[in-house]
Amino acid sequence: MRRLAWRLAWSVGVVWAVVSIAFAVNVLLPGDPAQMVAGPQARPADVARIREQLGLDRPPAVQYVRFWTRLVHVGPSVADPAHASCAIVLPLPVRRSALHLDFGKSFQMRQPVVDVIATRMPRTLLLAVAGVVLQLLLGVSTGVLAALRRGTWVDRLTVSVSLLGISAPTFLIALLLQVILARELRWLPLDGYGATVGDHVRCLVLPALTLGFYGAAYYTRLVRDEMRVLLDADWVRTARAKGLAPGRVATRHALRNALVPLVTAVGLDFGALMGGAIVTETVFRWPGLGELSVKAMLDRDGPVIMACVIVTSIAIVATNVVVDLVYGLLDPRVRDARGGGTR
Amino acid sequence: MRWIRATRRGPRRGDGAMRASLAPALLLAVAALGCHTSLSPPIPAEHGDDAPPRRGGTLRLATFKDIRGLDPAGPTEGVANQAIHAIFAGLVDFDDRGRVVPDLADRWEIAEGGRVYRFTLHEGVRMHDGEELTADDVKRSVERALHKTTPDPSASYFEGIAGYAAYAEGTAEHLDGVVVEGRYVVTFRLEEPDATFLSVLAGPTLRPVCRSAGDRYVDTWQPCGAGPFKLAPGGWRRGASLRLVRHDGYFRAGLPYLDAVEWTYNMQQLTQRFRFEAGELDFLHEISQADQTRFAGDPRWRPFGSTDADTTLYGESMNTTMPPFDNVEVRRAVAAAIDREHYRLLKPAYVTPLDQPIPPGIPGYASDDVRCRRGQRYDYAAALEHMRKAGFPYDPATGRGGWPYPIDYVVYDQGLLIYTAQLLQQELAKIGLRIELRLVSWQTFLTLQHRRGGAAMSPGNWAMDYPDPSSFFEPLFTTRAIGPESTDNTAFYSNPRFDDLVARARGELDETQREALYREAGAILCDEAPWAFTFSYHFVSERQPYVRGPLQHPVWYVDPTRTWIDRSDRLAEPPAGSESP
Amino acid sequence: MHGRAKAGVRLFSNRSARLGGAVIAALLAFALLGPFAARHGPLESDFVHGLGADGVPVGPSADFPLGADRLLRDEFARLAYAGRVSLFIAVLATLIATALGALVGIVSGWFEGARARVPWAVLAGVAGAIAALAEGRAGLAVLVIVAAGLVAVRRPSGPLLDVDGWLMRLADVLLAFPFLLLVMAIGASLDRTTAVTIFLTLGATGWLGIARVLRAKTMQVRSLGYVEASRALGQSTAWVMLKHVLPNVAGPLIVTATVLVAQMIIADSVLSYLGVGISPPTPTWGRMLFEGADDYLVAPWLVAAPAGAILLAVWGFNMLGEGLRDALDPRDA
Repeated sequence: MRRLAWRLAWSVGVVWAVVSIAFAVNVLLPGDPAQMVAGPQARPADVARIREQLGLDRPPAVQYVRFWTRLVHVGPSVADPAHASCAIVLPLPVRRSALHLDFGKSFQMRQPVVDVIATRMPRTLLLAVAGVVLQLLLGVSTGVLAALRRGTWVDRLTVSVSLLGISAPTFLIALLLQVILARELRWLPLDGYGATVGDHVRCLVLPALTLGFYGAAYYTRLVRDEMRVLLDADWVRTARAKGLAPGRVATRHALRNALVPLVTAVGLDFGALMGGAIVTETVFRWPGLGELSVKAMLDRDGPVIMACVIVTSIAIVATNVVVDLVYGLLDPRVRDARGGGTR
Repeated sequence: MRWIRATRRGPRRGDGAMRASLAPALLLAVAALGCHTSLSPPIPAEHGDDAPPRRGGTLRLATFKDIRGLDPAGPTEGVANQAIHAIFAGLVDFDDRGRVVPDLADRWEIAEGGRVYRFTLHEGVRMHDGEELTADDVKRSVERALHKTTPDPSASYFEGIAGYAAYAEGTAEHLDGVVVEGRYVVTFRLEEPDATFLSVLAGPTLRPVCRSAGDRYVDTWQPCGAGPFKLAPGGWRRGASLRLVRHDGYFRAGLPYLDAVEWTYNMQQLTQRFRFEAGELDFLHEISQADQTRFAGDPRWRPFGSTDADTTLYGESMNTTMPPFDNVEVRRAVAAAIDREHYRLLKPAYVTPLDQPIPPGIPGYASDDVRCRRGQRYDYAAALEHMRKAGFPYDPATGRGGWPYPIDYVVYDQGLLIYTAQLLQQELAKIGLRIELRLVSWQTFLTLQHRRGGAAMSPGNWAMDYPDPSSFFEPLFTTRAIGPESTDNTAFYSNPRFDDLVARARGELDETQREALYREAGAILCDEAPWAFTFSYHFVSERQPYVRGPLQHPVWYVDPTRTWIDRSDRLAEPPAGSESP
Repeated sequence: MHGRAKAGVRLFSNRSARLGGAVIAALLAFALLGPFAARHGPLESDFVHGLGADGVPVGPSADFPLGADRLLRDEFARLAYAGRVSLFIAVLATLIATALGALVGIVSGWFEGARARVPWAVLAGVAGAIAALAEGRAGLAVLVIVAAGLVAVRRPSGPLLDVDGWLMRLADVLLAFPFLLLVMAIGASLDRTTAVTIFLTLGATGWLGIARVLRAKTMQVRSLGYVEASRALGQSTAWVMLKHVLPNVAGPLIVTATVLVAQMIIADSVLSYLGVGISPPTPTWGRMLFEGADDYLVAPWLVAAPAGAILLAVWGFNMLGEGLRDALDPRDA
């Protein structure tokens, strides 16, 4: 319990460090957000006026303090124009007040950033879930198949295809799928998100498949290797020598052994994907957090950049903690070894 | 990024199986798939060329860009202006030849030598909320747009209006230069005569807005104006689409013909082409070079393609305050060393090689007269001669001589410019100038280019703000444009004679005199070459045969006011969302 | 000695290693010799021969084995030259990442669970190096580190710190940091994107995997009998590390590093594809892929060539890594 509390406290510290560094980088990078809002042909006088309206003429230290004090604060529990860009997170027992979350207003879109994130997060979540599901389906099934049929052509084919999957960069897989399935065969839309639910599903297929192929290769090898180790065990060999097939008991036992590293890998993967699979989202113009963060960085849209960094780092750190816990619970060797270590 | 695998336990022993010739086979298959397929046939119109326009139908357009807002007083860009122009009518507008014509104003008169513009509005103009437009609405809209809390990137274009300075600072409560003289008469007083005032007024910024907009800009206002189309309820789905429906009370009787106009955003070029071929899009404005070649080569489609006017200016900007470009002979050498035809090869359907300081499509301006008599055209021998005169002779046979130091060329990764930069590098190497490409992000590029001493050489490009030479000359080449911290005059060019000509031309209301002044100013630019003018860029478009009536517009790109659809099945569609507010 | 010779034999008889090695050797040969075999330079546009009859760049032909690109340059020459650039960057980035990762991993694993005395000079050196990097002076940063190292050897006094804890926390922060922002920041502060900034960036962000692997291995080695005996006998930490730790971690280090090269090739191509890679006109495989993607329908070979090169290179290094793993530690469990 104390360890958990310590770990949580440290995670908050990590998030704070990441966000602060990102803030510093964002402020120090050359480029003028006001110019990006006004457009490249705007006159200096107009750009200066917009810069003042955006609050960018204040010194960085002041901006930093304002950012944190505004991020989480107590405010009225009813709509209030002074708190237009806030989202009410938690009503408080004190009269008519609530906990507000405020990421500020996007320079470019002139919308509260919480709204933008709230719109985009589910899409990234959808893509992350679809991607992980496909990865597991493809990866685990082929991994089990390869482990059971070891030494045969099935095994060899699996290994080489999976190696190919790891070898190809995401954007290459994305481009290939897009070219074959969308451009040539025209079975699926090229990119985008669509208007209806049916459209959303059809647009989801290619990006999810891209993530699926890329990650499946990794899981295939993971499952295969873990299962082979166990299938190599003496008692299994003895059974085989006696003429018995490995049997379902052995298979399930082997699979369960593979679960531990699989779960940790999936967890870490999911956390990273929650930050937005940038390349995949960009190639397929999937309007999620990844695409948003790229656009925001290119437009120097400070409030959006900071919000994306916060969401991403929380996602990664949180999944790291969860995975650590689960790993510790599942694997007794680690549980016992934990007595002497710090992690 | 997921490529860093900080794993706990990595994959273990491999088997070393090698049946992985999958990769080359896959690639061959992919390569083989890149064969040509021909275009679908166009969907014909139902009636002949003389048929009268018919009401009804929805015009469907698409773009790969997105819009940020629909408020004429806020930050907007080309794509948004298409919709803003349809929603908001202005006192004056540009016709399809780029000339300023009356719109909401029935007529105007110019008095006091060009200092007073008196507009008389049409009577009985109904805005989208049903209220009548009066001169008070005009003044209210102007003050709203020019207030200091409004994020209007074009406000300083109106600094010529009397009382602007006080109002913009906030010391004056109202803008004194705009006077309401009657229910339908409004007057603008200027400090100085200004021949560009009407052009600037025809822009989106000061267009009248409904009373619901209030006195001050707010981000959440639902757009409402006096234009031919109004925003359908829930019509703007951010990042996805925009739907405008006919304003039945539009002051021009009988117009618009269309029931609605729809834009779909964030649709890439290839998807647009697929949908266009399938008849799901009516007009194609963003066509890749490869597709354009196909459309132009297909006799069924060729009659329905058209080329927009050239209204953008591209060139190589040389910082006249940094060596070696402080030497005018070096600049002349650069202007003569670039073979513009090579630039054209990159995108032949879109690029027009340029040998003058104004793009040929600036409407209302006689382009032939502006062509440079001296310089600004490819002449290798002349380029070498200029280098010799500059004091840095270069011998192409031995490769010795020229400017001894590498020159930084700052560029960003935009499609055409990164390629022209690489071409430029090769061309300038032939006259002894070595440039090194410094690839930076778009925002760093803007910062460097606009700052004194930031970039010795960089690609200059400018789209017209309004169709007039002053729109190019004033921000790009006058001394006045050079601000203390940043400027659009990226060459930091300062020539008092040029400044004088341009200033006089601005106040000259006589067209012939004005043209002569700009011609003379242009000749100075040709000769002194702060930029090596290289090309102008235009768009090409393709429409379905059943889209009739004027659609393209030299300033707004599309203007659907007088467009109509000549297909009964499309006219019969019930327009959704057309209830009155 | 005996063990190493056996490892070498296993390596050569391993099919993965042989095939991977062969592919890499072929690519290296192509990269080094290709530009000489081509008829044009990789940076020259040929406006006379490069333009086809219909006004578009020529396809694969005698003069241009892989066709001409958009700027009428020889794609074959560019592919070979890009091979030099991409492989060079990947290998150097891996070296940097490996060095950093080994340093962090071994130190971390060795001092895990205990506090160690960190010389003040080292702390000052790290702070100074970061400041120098923020100013964009990479050379100065290296000097500062070297100087700090020399001083630390002379004056090793300093505070007791939980070295492992802090280093792992640093790794956490790095893991959670948005990659693109980091790349842009490094590029901006170092003033321009060159091969040096790219492999520095990749090296600085790629050491995590190696650090973790080596940390685990070092902890394992630390508890080996003869190592504990060594320490009990009073041998200095540095001597123990050199004599016992390094040889033991060499195996996993080499394997992970080989696979890391593959990942660096991918990372470099992603950076080029996103437009934050090395400045044109220098070709890299990722950049060529990006440039060719637009005209895919009319010139598919402009995409197939760099894509194939990337795939082959990455696959080759992965295969070699597999083989190395089998050869060096067949009992690896």
